[in-house]
Amino acid sequence: MKINYSFDEKRKFLAKLEELVKSGIAREKINVFTPYPVHEAEELLKIKNSPLRFFTLFGALSGLLFGFFFTIWTSLDWPLIRGGKPIVSIPAYIIVAFELTILFGGVISFIGFLLLSGLPSAGKIAAPEDYGNQFVIHIENEGEK
Amino acid sequence: MKPKDMKEPEYNQRLEQDILQALKNPSPFYWVAVFTCASFFAIGLLTWLYQMLKGMGVAGINNPVGWGVYITDFVFWVGIAHSGTLISAVLFLFRAKFRNVFNRSAEAMTVFAVMTAGLYPLIHLGRSWFFYWLFPYPNQRQLWVNFQSPLIWDVFAVSTYFTISAIFWYVGMVPDVAIVRRYASGIGKKIYSILSLGWSGSKRQWRHYTRLYIFLAAFATPLVISVHSVVSWDFAMSIIPGWHTTIFAPYFVAGAIFSGTAMVLTLVIPMMKIFRLERYITVDHFDKIAKVLLFTSLIVTYSYLVEFSLAFYGGHKFEESHFLYRLLGDYRYLYWTMLFCNSLFPLTLFIRRLRRSIAFLFIMSLFVNVGMWLERFVIIVSALAKDFDPYNWGIYIPRWPEVAITLGSFGMFFMFFLIFTKVLPVLAITEIKEEAVE
Amino acid sequence: MDRRDFLKILGITSGTMMVSSCGVDKASEKIIPYVIPPDEDVYPGNPLFLNTTCTECPANCGMQVEINEKVYHDVRSLYPTKLEGIEGHPLNEGTLCMRGQAGLFRLYSPDRIQRTMMRHDQGNFRVATWKEALTRIEEGLNRAKQDGKKNAYFSGRTTGSLSELIDRFCRNKDIERLPEFEVFSYANIKRANEMVFRRPQIPKYHIEKADFLLTIGADIFETHISPVSHSWRFARARKNENFSWYHVEPNLSLTGVQATRRLSLRPRSEMVLLTFLLQTVLEQNERKNNPGITIVRSLPNYPLDEVSSLTGISETDLRSLATSFGNAKKPLVIAGGVSTAHQLGLEVAVLTSLLQWIMAMTDELVDFSQAESYESIGTFKDVESLNEQLDQNTMGVLFISRMDPVSMLPAVFKFSRQIKKAQLTVGLSDHMNDTVRECDVILPLSHSLESWGDSQPCRGLTNVIQPAIDPQYDTRSEGDILLQLLNNESTYKNFLFEKWNKNYGDAGTKEMLKTGYRSDPVPKVMVSFNTLAVSSFVRHMEKPNFNYGVVLCLSPSIRSYDGRSRDLKLMQEIPDPLSTISYGGWISISPLTAEYFRLKDRDEVELTAQEFSLKLPVKVQKHLSDNVVMVQRDLIPVPLTAVDHRSGEASWYVPNISLQKTGVVLPVPILSGSMEENHRGILPPDDDHGHRHDDEEHPRWYPEHEHKDYRWGMAIDLESCIGCNACTAACYVENNIPLVGLKEHLNGREMSWIRIQPYYDANDNFEFVPMMCQQCDNAPCEPVCPVYASYHNPEGLNVQVYNRCVGTRYCSNNCPYKVRRFNWFDHRLVEPLDKMYNPAISVRGRGIMEKCTFCIQRIRAAKDHAKDENRLVQDGEIIPACAQTCPTEAITFGNMKDTESRVYQLAQSERAYHALEELGTEPAVNYLGKRGNNHEA
Repeated sequence: MKINYSFDEKRKFLAKLEELVKSGIAREKINVFTPYPVHEAEELLKIKNSPLRFFTLFGALSGLLFGFFFTIWTSLDWPLIRGGKPIVSIPAYIIVAFELTILFGGVISFIGFLLLSGLPSAGKIAAPEDYGNQFVIHIENEGEK
Repeated sequence: MKPKDMKEPEYNQRLEQDILQALKNPSPFYWVAVFTCASFFAIGLLTWLYQMLKGMGVAGINNPVGWGVYITDFVFWVGIAHSGTLISAVLFLFRAKFRNVFNRSAEAMTVFAVMTAGLYPLIHLGRSWFFYWLFPYPNQRQLWVNFQSPLIWDVFAVSTYFTISAIFWYVGMVPDVAIVRRYASGIGKKIYSILSLGWSGSKRQWRHYTRLYIFLAAFATPLVISVHSVVSWDFAMSIIPGWHTTIFAPYFVAGAIFSGTAMVLTLVIPMMKIFRLERYITVDHFDKIAKVLLFTSLIVTYSYLVEFSLAFYGGHKFEESHFLYRLLGDYRYLYWTMLFCNSLFPLTLFIRRLRRSIAFLFIMSLFVNVGMWLERFVIIVSALAKDFDPYNWGIYIPRWPEVAITLGSFGMFFMFFLIFTKVLPVLAITEIKEEAVE
Repeated sequence: MDRRDFLKILGITSGTMMVSSCGVDKASEKIIPYVIPPDEDVYPGNPLFLNTTCTECPANCGMQVEINEKVYHDVRSLYPTKLEGIEGHPLNEGTLCMRGQAGLFRLYSPDRIQRTMMRHDQGNFRVATWKEALTRIEEGLNRAKQDGKKNAYFSGRTTGSLSELIDRFCRNKDIERLPEFEVFSYANIKRANEMVFRRPQIPKYHIEKADFLLTIGADIFETHISPVSHSWRFARARKNENFSWYHVEPNLSLTGVQATRRLSLRPRSEMVLLTFLLQTVLEQNERKNNPGITIVRSLPNYPLDEVSSLTGISETDLRSLATSFGNAKKPLVIAGGVSTAHQLGLEVAVLTSLLQWIMAMTDELVDFSQAESYESIGTFKDVESLNEQLDQNTMGVLFISRMDPVSMLPAVFKFSRQIKKAQLTVGLSDHMNDTVRECDVILPLSHSLESWGDSQPCRGLTNVIQPAIDPQYDTRSEGDILLQLLNNESTYKNFLFEKWNKNYGDAGTKEMLKTGYRSDPVPKVMVSFNTLAVSSFVRHMEKPNFNYGVVLCLSPSIRSYDGRSRDLKLMQEIPDPLSTISYGGWISISPLTAEYFRLKDRDEVELTAQEFSLKLPVKVQKHLSDNVVMVQRDLIPVPLTAVDHRSGEASWYVPNISLQKTGVVLPVPILSGSMEENHRGILPPDDDHGHRHDDEEHPRWYPEHEHKDYRWGMAIDLESCIGCNACTAACYVENNIPLVGLKEHLNGREMSWIRIQPYYDANDNFEFVPMMCQQCDNAPCEPVCPVYASYHNPEGLNVQVYNRCVGTRYCSNNCPYKVRRFNWFDHRLVEPLDKMYNPAISVRGRGIMEKCTFCIQRIRAAKDHAKDENRLVQDGEIIPACAQTCPTEAITFGNMKDTESRVYQLAQSERAYHALEELGTEPAVNYLGKRGNNHEA
């Protein structure tokens, strides 16, 4: 892959990017590498909302449901009286379900991120693609004529 | 903040070098420090082994005071962890930019504090070798755990907290580890390459990364409130006067943030001095952190007042006599010290000049750490020492195994933190770069 | 013995026959317990029961031994593991005191003398064989004969066949049988009865038939004659609503604090009080028997105010005492203990006997026909004659059996020096003590649980002693030793069986072995009054003088009797009920004395008097008189106390004591945190509405528990509980509870599952509350256990699952009664005490929480039995260890679903309440509070 444009400063980078976009190059073909997330670049490239949110939602919901299901099922499986309180004590189980919501939500979001961003990538680990503090624009098929 | 006259690339370069020079070869002082901490840790572990072989009786806990220093340490360490999450996650959601010089160390502090705290439920068990019975796993006896018990809530809350904090800390560090990777060589480079997962900063990666970071921050925020609430319910769900009160959840959460912030100061101030990071961590940053400290101190003071006045307003004889015992009984000196460290001394932070004095803040943070440890000790022990039936009243004096294990836990925490400072970047380089340009 | 032999032997005896008198079955020369199998069949795993006698103190209660088969050190055999009273026994009615319950601690004591020993010429002991020892004794006797010296046999109280045998032995070998020695010789009472009734005896007191009881110093629940007997009689008497009881004493005793009214009186002033009562009775013409004009006139006449100033009792109290006494239809007066053990003790005893005569108590309540067997017991005067003999160097062989005169005798006797003046001293004992250590030959005695024998504690009653286990060491019973010395081929067992068969016949003997005792009718005794002796005595009575400054009173101890039960390790583990001090000694002083010397609990004080001084920690004791300090008599080397030569009684007081604060604070295990109850809810609420706190008053959030067939509950009557700690001791033995020792007591880690908690109630009077796991319906300990080691079973019990407990101790923290005990270490009973472990119960390791289970092992056993018979458990079938041994039946256990059951009826009582009711724990234990303000005048 050839580096096409590389800038020191964010300002210059954004200017060039805007120019490229306006010049009609397909947005999907433009790849940028930045040392930190540049919100303006995302807007220019019309990057849609990450589908990570579906992982998160799925994770949180599954955590919530599992939390309640597990606690209720295990209490009923062997109903032991403790302190006169009901066998299925929802207020207590809310706490467990709450924690599991967060746990499953967080872990599954993280897994989702790994899947969506293609990390860890064996190739990139062996030969890291490092651009340092440069803002880099790479356009596909540029060099192919 | 970047000075106005400096150009961006120059700033970024200098930023990286300033922060990463800390990862260079350690001085002899560093080795002495790590070795000392590791020794304390080792002594703590050996003492724990001794306690397991001989019996819990080697500690000072007894009847009626079944919980003592170990539970105090547990609550203390979990509390410390909360401030890290507050700075990382909550301040992120509130867009408090000043957080980015503290958040990496604070998150590290959280992870290590939770690890340390997580040992204590094992240490205080009479039969530690059966600790895994506290986890609900399928077994031949068809036995599950008692989900009504606050201790099980602890298991879930602390496990969740550790997992999420670790993930959050790790995720935050991925771009920074990529930077370290660039400067590293040899085996180090390979390790950092693996740790950075092959990060390259592409649009695809950043797209998902930013969402993940927000979601993790959103998940971690309720953890700040819920985890220490759950820990406080270890006490509030009992019937003992002095423990059984609804104020415990907010009281403990505020106290946790209070003690955690103080610990952040205790760690960051020396770290800044040693690594010469004054350029990045400025007096303004400390001023803002000090305000957090003051604010939480006021909440804690308010809680003390509410506890006390309602005990007498309610006229419940057990509650009244308990609070009189706290104020005037066997542990009164500890209680008064606590009041001074947590309520009175932090009032000086109203003075702007003191807030901006690094030395003063460091001293203050030590006092607060001591005061908050004492607060947990006084709450736990005084409530158990004198409860309902006068026949059972007793007293608790910690013994050497408890001291050794407490020192061991401090040794473990500082050892991990010291290793962290030499192995991973102590400031959130990427975030600072991001903020510098705006 | 091993199981195979046992079962083989059982085949021979087959539950119907026993070894007859004609011919000894050599094959079964081993000890054969005559066991009472529950169903004439013996099932492995079911315990066997044997009826014998407790020999821990001279009361000799009937004792049933539970024998269990278990494996000990890889050997399967039968071991006694629990002791109970014999149901229906005339002395103890199926109950046993704390010392009796701890009897196995003596049987299995690691400090028992295991082998015969003889003294070298150099002075040290060496192990010897029986043959050597007995030969040595023979030689000694022969030498004494040659030298023309006298021999003597000196023993503790001995009754029954052994006494006969000793007589025979002494006659045969030309040994003088000395009067027996007991520290509690009741010399003054005997002398008084001799004087007044011509009977030097101690009568039986039928407290249960009295409606008014006056005890003067007599510690009827602690050591006086037969404490268990008095306890159940008191419980019976108390059932009568009109029963009231005044106790008068110079010190403070466990007995005293149970009385309806306890009056403190000046030491030595009891005779003034008695004179006052006699006056009142005679003036108001309430007498039933006429003592004669001489006596009436000779009695001193004190005006009320003088009586008050001399005794220190207020006039109001004196009047109310006199009124109550006068109004009583069947009054009973008992004097004893500290009140008959001083210079004027004889006066006290005589006046008491006089009062008993005048009020015709001797018709029924003071019963000489069942007199206690104390006639052969000598007094200190007899010891003085022994000393004289020793001084003259005329003593050849001196046998000392089952007592410790060197420690027990007052220092004046200097017995440790005297004893060496005999040519040869032979000590017979089961434990080493100061006396035995001075002897030349030591013969180890088998424990009564390893021996055959009988005893006659009082007229008309014969108790059997039969072995429950083979002798564990090379020991022999005294009877066997004497027969061997007599060169008799027979065993003591045969001796006994011959005698029994002769006296009671075959059937009678069998019956006696089965029940463990035999009651024979005794002729009714009509006492005759010796007017002359009494009037002469009364005429010469002097007014007491009170110039004794601060006086030290040596008080009896329920835990150690006269000191002999200190050998039992359990007696140190269980605290003294009044002070709650377990290990070590202390001196009790009044609050005013403490203030004066600026002393508080645990401060060390030096006690000095004439020729002795002692350092002890202080315990402040409310209600103790200001000029009296108390030390339990076995805690200090016996000081200089005088002997009254009229009767031979030794004084239990040391006058003119001085106290000096040393400034040291000692570690003293005071187990009670505080005795001020302060209306916290452990004692009954003193707002006496007269109605119970019913369920209507407690709003319930959750539905009540449903119980199918059983809901176990308990009712504890605080009016009956006398704080004797028998329940505590029984629980320790039944449930394998560890003994933790002094260091752990100082840390508050005692392990008792049931304990007696003393409090001062709203009227500042003592109340004892037995506290054990309340088995709460809404147990606070259950929801907090993370692993379900503590949960509620369908029969209403809070169950603790030992093998699931991980030891978080949250349950104990949450228990408001703090009845849950944590195993801080691995405490295993020192060998061979661990032979007594109950095989039905596990021994808990470190890190595990334990607590009272309502003896679930007994519940389980009864349910199994009922299931076999296809029925439910009936009321009374299950009795936990504490309830079974309680002499006053204060604890009742049963099924609360059974409305006919005793426990259900008691729980409906007006007096019933729950401890810490307002917490809403809904305990299964109902306490019955004391009736009204019955401590007011």
